[in-house]
Amino acid sequence: MNQHEILLKLENIEKRFPGVVALKSISLEVRAGEVQVLLGENGAGKSTLMKILAGEHPPTDGTIVVGGRKVPALTPTLATELGIGLVHQELSLIPALSVTENIFLGRMPRNAFGKINWSKAHADARHALEALGVFIDPAAEVRTLEVAEQQLVEITRVLERGPRILLLDEPTSALSDGERSRLFDVIRLLKQRGHGIIYISHHLSEIPLIADRVTVLRDGIVVKTLPADQADEETVIGLMVGRRLEEQFPKEKVELGTPVLVVENLASGTTLKDLSFTLRRGEILGVYGLMGAGQAEIASALFGLQAVNAGSVEVEGKRANFRHSSDAIAAGLGLISRDRRQSLVPMQPVGPNLSLSWLAGKSLLSRLDLTREREEGSRYISDLRIRPASTTHKLFFFSGGNQQKVILARWMSSGARILIFDEPTRGIDVGAKAEVFAVMSRLVSEGASILMISSELNELIGMADRALVMRGGRLSAELPRKEISQQNLLRYAS
Amino acid sequence: MHMRAEKKPDTKAGAAGGRKTKLKAIVFQAGPLIALVLLMAYLAFATSNFLTFDNLSNVARQSAFVAIIAVGQTFVILTGGIDLSVAAIAALAASITAVLLTQPLVLFGVDFGFVPPPVAVLIGLFIGVAAGAINGWLISKFKIPDFIATLGTMTAFRGAALLVTDGLPVPSFNAGRQLPETLIWVGGGQLFGVPVSALIALLCAAAGWYVLRYTALGRAIYAVGGNRAAAHSSGISISRTKIMTYAISGLLAAIAGIILVGRLNSANALMAEGEELRSIASVVIGGTNLFGGEGGVWGSIIGAAIIGVLGNGLNLLDVSPFWQRIAQGIVIVVVVIFDQWRRRSMTRV
Repeated sequence: MNQHEILLKLENIEKRFPGVVALKSISLEVRAGEVQVLLGENGAGKSTLMKILAGEHPPTDGTIVVGGRKVPALTPTLATELGIGLVHQELSLIPALSVTENIFLGRMPRNAFGKINWSKAHADARHALEALGVFIDPAAEVRTLEVAEQQLVEITRVLERGPRILLLDEPTSALSDGERSRLFDVIRLLKQRGHGIIYISHHLSEIPLIADRVTVLRDGIVVKTLPADQADEETVIGLMVGRRLEEQFPKEKVELGTPVLVVENLASGTTLKDLSFTLRRGEILGVYGLMGAGQAEIASALFGLQAVNAGSVEVEGKRANFRHSSDAIAAGLGLISRDRRQSLVPMQPVGPNLSLSWLAGKSLLSRLDLTREREEGSRYISDLRIRPASTTHKLFFFSGGNQQKVILARWMSSGARILIFDEPTRGIDVGAKAEVFAVMSRLVSEGASILMISSELNELIGMADRALVMRGGRLSAELPRKEISQQNLLRYAS
Repeated sequence: MHMRAEKKPDTKAGAAGGRKTKLKAIVFQAGPLIALVLLMAYLAFATSNFLTFDNLSNVARQSAFVAIIAVGQTFVILTGGIDLSVAAIAALAASITAVLLTQPLVLFGVDFGFVPPPVAVLIGLFIGVAAGAINGWLISKFKIPDFIATLGTMTAFRGAALLVTDGLPVPSFNAGRQLPETLIWVGGGQLFGVPVSALIALLCAAAGWYVLRYTALGRAIYAVGGNRAAAHSSGISISRTKIMTYAISGLLAAIAGIILVGRLNSANALMAEGEELRSIASVVIGGTNLFGGEGGVWGSIIGAAIIGVLGNGLNLLDVSPFWQRIAQGIVIVVVVIFDQWRRRSMTRV
């Protein structure tokens, strides 16, 4: 087998969405028998690129060459035919079906009468799983499995279609160390068999373990492709961020004040079981956890959006029992939620989106303060450099980063003193991220406090004064600033 | 830096696109008005008596009822809801008011005598508000879809109106008083040559516009319809907004119903049947997004006028009433197709 055979080649791939250019010009190639690690911050374009390769989105421009065949765009069927298999970041399994049914979805082995041959199906599934060194009962319903097991079922399913090119989108984000090394064994096996693999990861420490080449994306372009032995962490971060770390994270030294938010034994929803912490004035308190560790429910529980099952919350020394978000807002809280779409009214311009929180707790019969809305709208547009600098454009037409700035402005104008930033930089570009961080620094230096829930290790390392690490719905470690590192965050989280 | 160099042309393109979308937005927003003017211009040429004072007054008087209901319906649709019970509320409020105006009030066997006419009207309006508030309460308290809740209350309110009137027209032939002259003037009379009912419709629209533009309620209505989750997490009470919106819709339905009593010089429990659909059509023709968050009351007034002028014009052109219905149906569908296309082209930058 020719180890240098080019399986996949992308030339000047461009992808535009309304108001956003997700990919500007992507050119790369994947060779047989290599693992190419694709790096880039959130919003750099990795997931869009994966979706184009899986045929879920057509590119706006550029060509794709797969196995010598040139196509302008892929469809999911064509991608499968041409031997491209994608393991999604979000699991795409059907929870109520068995492992076997998920693996052979739509292609269950049948006998001559068209009846499903269950014993053969289960045996085939078991065989496929064992080929990856995985032992899972093929008859088990997928919803009864651990997340990591589900991940392995997903990979098995994709491999069953016999792809030459395998795309893995953050496959280890939910895996433990042991499971991860098992996955890496599988990947090495596939590599030897001549598969070409694109592997997306956030964990730079995985590069020496698995990569042959590393390609770094930033703002929709390929910044550089380099051999794995040249891709040390510092070089790679520099390429990903496009600036030095101090510039990306403008962290200021702020004197910490009295506790403003005291949470004790908080339990809420299905994943948050027991969390206690104290947030002080002027502090940025980071919270990290893997998927399902409970950190995703903190914001809703604190903000009165979801019922609190147990525990107590004190705001500025007063017992708080928020039943509605307006109570939380009245107490001086603000929420930048993980999904911007949950915060914006897209068909309204900046002003009304800004002043939305002013209505909290007010009578519906009261008059709007349109003068203040106009003034603060223009002020924040110039202050936070919101682009387009327009008070009449609907927010729908703004980029993710600029939408995020409008939400920041909302809470700045409502005078919130305790801000919950839930994944504050998800889906925004690097430049806008730096601006969001600058605003965070400014807010705490003006006496606000920030609870920063994030799955971005670099962000936490760059911005947090202290970091809480969660595991299984509980606190597993509390790290002071100098101990916040990739290794520590990951170790206590898994 | 490389990244910045990449950025610049982008923002420029964005600004140019902005001017273009602005121009587009103005043209699109004026769309219903342009359609109305074209329709009227055509009828002015095609018929001899469309553009006469009497005929136009007649159209205005006939459209006023739907226009007033449509103002309330606009509020509801802006929140992402729909109110199928408006015509039933109008009939209920009209029936109660008419009964109180023409018959002595008898409750639990006690005769209270005649209620003063203004009080009768106020009670009718109050019934409208209460009926609307019930709609809003059902929807927000029990989390049932707006469509289903108001479909249910539509039937129930009609039933209540039948109970109140005993299934007979009011005033009845053989008993009680006649309706007051003032009410008949409001329904069919003129002030400075303009039908009073049309003036009231414009007044309702102006009030509705004010509420939507200048009050917290108006902003909450747009927020709830534009993004419920965002409204909720910004501290806006969805249920209060919903209840007030439906109460306003009920109030306007009651106003329309009482005016209709004056115009017809009669009320009955089954009056205005099907008008809820015409009010929804007016709102949609007027450019309000059926899924909420976008639009306004003036569009709905124009929508009601388009429906009124279309019906009148087809009459004058001697088109059979059966064909008129087909034509009206086609207009509604065409407008919605146009609206969808407009939205798509607005979101494509």
